Amino acid sequence: MAWAKQGHDAAFRELVRRYERPVFSLLYRMVRDRALAEDLAQETFIKVLNGIKSYRPEFKFSSWIFKIANNAAIDHLRRKSLDTLSLDGSPTAQTPEQMHATALQLGDRAESPLQQVENRELGTAIEHAIARLRPEYRSCIMLRHVEGYSYEEIAETLDLPLGTVKTYIHRARNELRGYLEDRMDETGPRAAP
Amino acid sequence: MTNLPMHLTTDEIELWAQGLLPAARTMHLADCSLCRVEAGRERKVILELVQLPRFAPAAGFADRVMAQVRIPTPSGDFTA
Repeated sequence: MAWAKQGHDAAFRELVRRYERPVFSLLYRMVRDRALAEDLAQETFIKVLNGIKSYRPEFKFSSWIFKIANNAAIDHLRRKSLDTLSLDGSPTAQTPEQMHATALQLGDRAESPLQQVENRELGTAIEHAIARLRPEYRSCIMLRHVEGYSYEEIAETLDLPLGTVKTYIHRARNELRGYLEDRMDETGPRAAP
Repeated sequence: MTNLPMHLTTDEIELWAQGLLPAARTMHLADCSLCRVEAGRERKVILELVQLPRFAPAAGFADRVMAQVRIPTPSGDFTA
């Protein structure tokens, strides 16, 4: 880190190499779109590396980078929920023609190669269950169980009170259990992946 | 379940699932079917979560990042 702060290209590359998978994985599970997750990961690293001089070494570097990545994902998800279009067209449309003109076109349903990769990577029961969690729960559960963060580290990283982090994680696991058990009931244990 | 003091708390169940619960509390599971069932269900989810893979971005990711990063020099200037 000290080397990176002095501005060494090799040190920057090493930081990207070390954190690209954890950061990308968190973002990918948050937005469930490879291309978008990569854009957000790129944005995160650029922000971190261009602002490296403001890094305070008393905090874990990984906490700093996860904080920026998580904020990027949450901002995106908020914007997306505001931009959500009705399949039936704009709510301001006055006539059937306007409704038709503004309706969302679904187009060809054939999967692109990228969608096939996404379906393979995020198609398991547990990934589907994670996708159904609230974004705040999702980032907490990823940091806890994929990155192995303590509750205290998650609280610091996400700027949340410790009690809130504990509540989010317990509720998230409870919801995951519910989703997975419902699925087992529907498909039977042999059909579960 | 939580109104009985001897039952495992959610935090203790998580510790147990990670193999970190002190033996004195682990012994409770042998006697309490409620906690055993609850702990078993919780462990199943935790195991699924800790086995999740990490994904990699597309090849050339670092190059794409570095193309947009300004490298500061020790003097405070930027090289790119």
